[in-house]
Amino acid sequence: MPHQERRFNPYTENGGTILAIAGEDFTVIAGDTRQSEGYNIQTRYAPKVFRLTDKAVLAVNGFAADGNMFVQKVQQRLEWYAHAHNKPMPLKAIARLIQTMLYAKRFFPYYVYNILGGIEEDGSGAVYSFDPVGSYEREACRAAGAAQSLVQPFLDNQIYFKNQLPPPGGAHPRHLPLNDVLSLVIDSFTGATERHIEVGDGLEIYIVLAPNKSSVELERLPGVKRIQGTFDIAGDASPDVTAAAAAVGVTGEKMFVMRRELKKD
Amino acid sequence: MSIMEYNGGSVVAMVGKNCVAIASDLRLGNQALTIATNFEKVFPVTDRIMLGMAGLASDVLTLRDRFRLLVNMYTIKEEREIEPETFAHLVSSTLYEKRFGPYFIEPIIAGLSKGSNKPFIASTDVIGCINFAKGFVVCGTATDKLFGVAESLWEPDLEPEDLFETISQTLMNAVDRDAFSGWGVVVHVITPEKAFTRYLRARMD
Amino acid sequence: MATADGGAYSYSLTVFSPSGKLVQIEHALARVAQGTTSLGIKATNGIVIATEKKSSSLLMDTSMIEKVCMICPNIGIVYSGMGPDYRVLVSKARKSAQGYWKIYGEYPPTRILVQELATVMQQATQSGGVRPYGVSLLVAGWDLNRGPTLYQVDPSGSFWAWKASAIGKNMINAKTFLEKRYNDDISLEDAIHTALLTLKEGFEGQMTEKTIELGVITVPSEEEIAAGMAVENAGTMRPKPTFRRLTEEEVKDYLAM
Repeated sequence: MPHQERRFNPYTENGGTILAIAGEDFTVIAGDTRQSEGYNIQTRYAPKVFRLTDKAVLAVNGFAADGNMFVQKVQQRLEWYAHAHNKPMPLKAIARLIQTMLYAKRFFPYYVYNILGGIEEDGSGAVYSFDPVGSYEREACRAAGAAQSLVQPFLDNQIYFKNQLPPPGGAHPRHLPLNDVLSLVIDSFTGATERHIEVGDGLEIYIVLAPNKSSVELERLPGVKRIQGTFDIAGDASPDVTAAAAAVGVTGEKMFVMRRELKKD
Repeated sequence: MSIMEYNGGSVVAMVGKNCVAIASDLRLGNQALTIATNFEKVFPVTDRIMLGMAGLASDVLTLRDRFRLLVNMYTIKEEREIEPETFAHLVSSTLYEKRFGPYFIEPIIAGLSKGSNKPFIASTDVIGCINFAKGFVVCGTATDKLFGVAESLWEPDLEPEDLFETISQTLMNAVDRDAFSGWGVVVHVITPEKAFTRYLRARMD
Repeated sequence: MATADGGAYSYSLTVFSPSGKLVQIEHALARVAQGTTSLGIKATNGIVIATEKKSSSLLMDTSMIEKVCMICPNIGIVYSGMGPDYRVLVSKARKSAQGYWKIYGEYPPTRILVQELATVMQQATQSGGVRPYGVSLLVAGWDLNRGPTLYQVDPSGSFWAWKASAIGKNMINAKTFLEKRYNDDISLEDAIHTALLTLKEGFEGQMTEKTIELGVITVPSEEEIAAGMAVENAGTMRPKPTFRRLTEEEVKDYLAM
């Protein structure tokens, strides 16, 4: 009789969905907060979206343990960078760093789909999406995770205006205003919650604004909270580091989080 | 390989204000190879009922003929046209007859009731378990995508033209993210006064 | 050849006599004509079917005899002729109605059930090793399509729709009586009284709740139809029955009026 191999499986899939949309001068990065294994809900609040710098947010989805560990490692690398260069790492450099870190584990990958969102050095909103081994691409929008198949075609239609004719003599807008984007994000998640059992409980939406963009309108919305921060990712920077940051024009006051309830059934 | 993905294809139906719409893609495949791009999956049952089927193409055609026979027999025997609810039960019992060797199709029924013009939609699984949905029903290889888009785009009480736009956008954007469905779509809208059919080309890949 | 006893053709069910008759069917009809009288009257808002219940002995518990039967919530029947044959037909009719429900998720229209019953009875005139059913039936039903309808089915498998009809021992007199009394806008209450009056003609013995059986179809209102359909579609409940066999109490009340 052939030998039956019994092997430890180092991976699980913890459900949930993440989503990011880039505007002209802002980026929205969102994720639900349910964490499940099979039909069991492990927790109704497990964040999947993390602040990296004042201008970068990373959303991770897939195997939660790998995701959390990966975020920590990225944050550690960003801290080293900040100490070495006395400035936060630019978004596109973070994207390349993430690729390198993912590909380094090409043959024992982090079982994680990453979406990086933030503001580029030129002030434009940007979204980078990754596969588990580091292939990446800059896009205007991306959904990943359990309900990717539900959300992505909706985004194609509403963000890229796929299958829609432009108004006569005009063209489709290249970027949508922030309010429209927020509505689309909320609609996407309520829709996904309705039809996917692994999506729900809570919605956490990070909003990163370009330095020149006003936040007055945004702050009037219900449930929006400003995230205080500096380029120091640990958030416990000494006063002279903070002062140094202010001196190089990094104010770190353009990131917001908006929390919404999702259905819990 | 799942037998449900052998030929590919998707169908969706939606309820509007005193109207219903049902639409399918036009692709017929042999796994990854596209065989034909004019394979309709929605068929008339009466003047005000349509039946859509996604799944194994040979079963789609077999059941189209079988339901035509059954409905013709019903019409002659009962001296009246079959009602959408009744037809849904007929579909269900016909599929359940083959409980342990099923037809590999998922049907969708859309129609208006005779007396009240009440819009009706329903879908079943391969063995005929009926789903009487309120707003929309979907089936086929793009099921997930259809659910995602329809859940966000559909709203109650759409007028026929708005319903046409909604179902068209839902189906086109869903099949564009599904390799097994696409190559244009056909949309049927049934209102108490008239029924119309439109072919949309969309992304041909 | 065609003698009073039926002659050479009388035993073979499936052979016509030279005069074009199937003698066994004639015999079956003769058996029906010996049976107790039953009748049915269609009213504007319903139908009544009625029969007389006779027992051969005072010791028999007549409350256990059911001659008026519900086939499905919208159809009831009554008979004249042979009780045992009727029982078999009731059972077949109920199975047929449930078979229809299993396919279409609703109970059959009256006409469909009547056709089904008539087919069963016809087959008994053409099959080997059987005899025709010794009963005539009155079938009262309501459906969305045709409303209230009253049918009579004979042993031959023939069936007709009636406004009012009678079968059994006293059918000739009863029909004459009904022809005089019937009009197109009779109400269900009036029809029930007419039914009792008709039975009274040539009734042997005392007419009591023990010797009379009544069944009624009540046409539901528009609201009831809409509600019934909604409930039925939800799949949680049965539609409200339109046929009802009256209790002895109710029969007693009608007799007293």
